Amino acid sequence: MLELRDVHSHYGLSHVLQGIHLRVEPGEVVGLFGRNGVGKTTVIKTIAGWVQPTRGEIVFESRILSTMSADQVSRLGIGLVPEDRRIFPGLTVEENLRLGFMQAPGVGRAEQKRKLEKIYQRFGRLAERRDQMGTTLSGGEQQMLAFARVLTGAPKLLLIDEPTEGLAPMIVEELFTLMRELVDEGISIVLVEQNVHAALELTDRFYLVERGQITFSGDAAEAASCAELVERISV
Amino acid sequence: MSSALDWLQFVLAPQMVNGLSIGVAVVLMALGLTIIFGLLDVINMAHGEFYAIGAYGAVALIGLGMSFWWALALTPLLMAVLGYVTERGLIQRVFHSKDRHTLTLLLTFGVGIVLEDVLKIVFGANPLRVEAPITGATELVGLFFPNYRLFVMAVGGLLIVAVWVLVFRTSLGAIVRAAAFDRYMSASLGVPISRVYAATFAFGVALAGISGVLLAPIYSVFPTMGRDFVLIAFSVVIIGGMGSIKGAVLAGLLLTQVQSISSLFISPVWNDPLLFGIMVLVLMWRPQGLYGKLGNA
Repeated sequence: MLELRDVHSHYGLSHVLQGIHLRVEPGEVVGLFGRNGVGKTTVIKTIAGWVQPTRGEIVFESRILSTMSADQVSRLGIGLVPEDRRIFPGLTVEENLRLGFMQAPGVGRAEQKRKLEKIYQRFGRLAERRDQMGTTLSGGEQQMLAFARVLTGAPKLLLIDEPTEGLAPMIVEELFTLMRELVDEGISIVLVEQNVHAALELTDRFYLVERGQITFSGDAAEAASCAELVERISV
Repeated sequence: MSSALDWLQFVLAPQMVNGLSIGVAVVLMALGLTIIFGLLDVINMAHGEFYAIGAYGAVALIGLGMSFWWALALTPLLMAVLGYVTERGLIQRVFHSKDRHTLTLLLTFGVGIVLEDVLKIVFGANPLRVEAPITGATELVGLFFPNYRLFVMAVGGLLIVAVWVLVFRTSLGAIVRAAAFDRYMSASLGVPISRVYAATFAFGVALAGISGVLLAPIYSVFPTMGRDFVLIAFSVVIIGGMGSIKGAVLAGLLLTQVQSISSLFISPVWNDPLLFGIMVLVLMWRPQGLYGKLGNA
């Protein structure tokens, strides 16, 4: 479904990604683990089209993403739940959600309304706050909004970056339940997560990122049963 | 007592109405500037020349035998095309550069000079006149106000409301506001950023064009007509808050009133120093202006 072949990225003179190889199969959940600042978020941003790779190739369903803009990438069915949620200030919950329809242009008004109602059924708290400014929601609600917003576009692959950061344990549990539901619905996921123990329960495979390179990859179930390995990939 | 009332009725009120008719045109022009800045982060130094082209557009279309009304309807459309082409053909080329703030500033400054010279070559340097399509005056509270100025106020007011509705009450406006706040996240939700930028620039240029057409019958039309006017619009944008629509409206109406009323007490030569003095004070004590960025209303 998605493959990164020898992908390099730079921020100015800084060589952040130094030859990333990565693969995601349909319906699979792949974890990206590693310490802060090793390049996990840059991998996500490079797939999403925020950062143009300086070398290498990104292929999604036989299409080369490497030269595409972020909006083109999103319209192929790659959704992004970014670090820090990035809810738009000055836009209501519903306006934030409606923006998600831009991922799948050509959806008629009736279909949009139906999809929106479905989203509201799934995220009841957002329905209650639909006319409230998105940035006035609590941290957990904003994270739900970030998920709901990308789901209006019916993505095939979700790039999820640090979704549980700074959230209460109860909300974290809710988010993992939501991600399990999405996997059951057939959505593939690339997950960057500091909570490795919880993430290993959700993921099928994982990659360890160190200094802009993949230094280790493996099966999540095997890793979960190996305390030494869990310690190595935990930060 | 009665002399004070007379002064209010026969001196101050007409002056305020005059200021208001200029004010709405200044606001339209400032709205174009502030929307372009709020979304693209580009200070459009050619905005004054786009205003002048709007006025010359009216001259040309009327010269071709069209009525003023057709010129008023068609000029903004032609200006939008010109704006779209300018953004896609020129601004986009330097937009992703590391020095884009400097480059876009210099680029639009250069575009302004070229456009001004083209106007001189095509239409000559002498001032031209556009006849007001509405003549006569209307009596209000014992005073006579020129009908065309009342018309400019009404149309300008409607356009300002229409811009506000478009930006804050439509899904198109939500897209523009989202792109102004976070172009990366907007793009990841499928918003075609470069087309939104070009369309917004075109919209801003069209607003400058409408101002040019509306004010053409009030002022003479000449190649450098945009220079003074754009300086007022820049002050309005800075005082209102760069990128703020509410700020542009409020500051535009307020500043033109200050100019109008102050000219009753001091020589008109002090108009500009007064205006820019206010701008300098705002920059010193409240550099963000009255309001914030596009999207904050």
